[in-house]
Amino acid sequence: MSKYFSKEKWQYMLYTISHPMDGYYWIRHAERGSVPLAILMVIIFSCCFTANRLLASFVVNDIDPRSVDSFYELSGILAFYLLLCVSNWSVTCLMSGEGRMKDIAIAVGYATVPMSVVLAAGTIISQVIADDEQAFYVLLLGVGIAYGIIMMLIGIMQVHNYTLGKTLLTLFITFLALLIIIFLILLMSNLIGMVYNFFRSIYTEIIFRT
Amino acid sequence: MKRFIQLRKFISLCMAVAVLVLAAGEEVYATSLPYDTYNYDYREYIHYTPAAYVPASEIGGEDFTYNGEPVGRFVSPQDLCKADDGEIYVADTGNNRIVVLNNSMSEVVNIITTFDNNGSEDSFNQPYGVCVSENGQIYVADSQNHRVVVLEKDGTLVKIVANPQSESLDDNYVFTPLKVTVDYADRIYVIALNMFEGIMVFETDGSFSSFFGTIKVEISLWDKFWKRIATKEERTQQQLYIPTEFTGIDIDPDGFVYASNIDATGVQGVRRLNPRGEDVIKKGENKNVGGDLQIDGTTDYAGPSQFTDVVYRSDGIYSCLDRKRGRIFTYDHEGNLLYIFGGLGTQMGTFQLPVAVEDIGGRIVVLDATKAKIISFEVTEYGRLINEAVALRFDGDEAEAVALWQRVLELDENNELANTGIGKAYLTAGDYVQAMKYLKLGMNRDYYSIAYRRYRNAFLTQNASYFLTGILILIVVVTVAKKVMRKKKGGGLNE
Repeated sequence: MSKYFSKEKWQYMLYTISHPMDGYYWIRHAERGSVPLAILMVIIFSCCFTANRLLASFVVNDIDPRSVDSFYELSGILAFYLLLCVSNWSVTCLMSGEGRMKDIAIAVGYATVPMSVVLAAGTIISQVIADDEQAFYVLLLGVGIAYGIIMMLIGIMQVHNYTLGKTLLTLFITFLALLIIIFLILLMSNLIGMVYNFFRSIYTEIIFRT
Repeated sequence: MKRFIQLRKFISLCMAVAVLVLAAGEEVYATSLPYDTYNYDYREYIHYTPAAYVPASEIGGEDFTYNGEPVGRFVSPQDLCKADDGEIYVADTGNNRIVVLNNSMSEVVNIITTFDNNGSEDSFNQPYGVCVSENGQIYVADSQNHRVVVLEKDGTLVKIVANPQSESLDDNYVFTPLKVTVDYADRIYVIALNMFEGIMVFETDGSFSSFFGTIKVEISLWDKFWKRIATKEERTQQQLYIPTEFTGIDIDPDGFVYASNIDATGVQGVRRLNPRGEDVIKKGENKNVGGDLQIDGTTDYAGPSQFTDVVYRSDGIYSCLDRKRGRIFTYDHEGNLLYIFGGLGTQMGTFQLPVAVEDIGGRIVVLDATKAKIISFEVTEYGRLINEAVALRFDGDEAEAVALWQRVLELDENNELANTGIGKAYLTAGDYVQAMKYLKLGMNRDYYSIAYRRYRNAFLTQNASYFLTGILILIVVVTVAKKVMRKKKGGGLNE
């Protein structure tokens, strides 16, 4: 366990955030990243996201607290993370991407860190802003989220050794693949449900006849 | 001593019974209303409120006699109007007559069935709408005679408005007036059957002047796309994009026309038209003056409210009558929904086909065409408090309204308008902590923000010395710590 969360891994994560190009390159080629750490970052991101929705001050927050469910959001974000990694991996496998599954997972997971930071910082700052100062809050969140997205882009570009154009193309196809995966999952669950119902009705029939 | 204890026991028993009886009595009263009273909060959730108006009486033509003769049941009455002298005019459409009731609706003072038209006796055919001008002249929308008849109070003919002539009208256009109203300058505003261009305005001399308040048709991009790819035959099969007609009309003392219409999207069921015919209504926090906000569902009872009439009451307050679910929605001049009451049914105080609404001396009066009755509602304490508080705010006396809002909160503690009203008063008084509390409960973000900024700035200035001292200490500590660290490091190197 300590291998995944060693001080070196943490430091390298921070290095990656400040030097994404270089950082992601050595994650791919020198095993400097850590998948469990990336997953932890996604979980922290989910917590920050929920906390921001629940705790940001009334001045900037128009979210109905009754609509916030931290567990639902955590599972949703983790499921989306998994789906994104799987679909990106399946697409880049066919498009001569060099990245392994774990590299993609790290690239996406580390990219959530700036977003988590601004969400947490924004939640705190929102407590002391009022009135027309909302713009600062919005700007802060915007910058953080933009940085996160750029990091994710660079990460995927570097681990697969792609050009920027190809990265954008694969991301678009990844998005389509994501929809296909969701469609297949729905189809599967529906069919399994039908089979289950079939056996269940046979069972009830037998029970009623004996 | 024993007797004393017994007496005390007896008294406490009596008091307990009294409390129970009183409480039970109140409960019976609360559930005896034949309809739900509720309102929508900031997040468009329904919250149930005390009733603002309760049914007071239900009267029909059969309850009256005039000159010794029974008046007889109304037949499909369609309109109701209050004159400035307090008399109430009912357009008894099916009986082709106008029935005039006195101020308190206790007796019939006049029935107009015929009038003298240049020597010959003339009568109405399906008089659909009625209105009384400021100088007491009666305007009758005589629908099947295709004219508007103007009579003096005693029944003598003043003029007849018929056959509007204009280039913008079709040659074979048949003028069938349904609702009529008149402003302080005796201009006549007519809602006519199948007239989608807007309200027809006639000058004092009876000549047609213009259309007024045309409702623009909004075609979505998606509809345009389908229209583009449809063939000619398909296009003829499609519904025409025609604007909705107005259904009811009223004029406020400043000359603004309130007109209700049926909006298929449920966003705007009423318009406030300025003298140029532009809509200047304020739609409030929820961007909606269309009645119910929760309209989902597939039953006949679901769907947007259908406003069939509107009445301007006073101090910017107006009420709209929904025929879909028989409810009356009351808004203030900012478009805030004040209260909702009324419902469909056959019990006393409910409607079957409500067609017209009027405010008569503080009572809300609804005319029901199928029931052929006039149903009046009287204000409760809750409704009166809201009306008065809104009136004070309309006049700019928000501070005076606070006591009223406090009392409203005692009756309905989730009332957002009351919370906002109190919060604003605290804000002006300089009590920012209380202001923030109430404005947050009232979900008024803008004013909360102002209160919070003032609170924060006051807090900062009051405690400036502590903050500055703190920063100073921090700087000193950091510099000292840095020096110590450097020394340590330096020492390490020396070794």
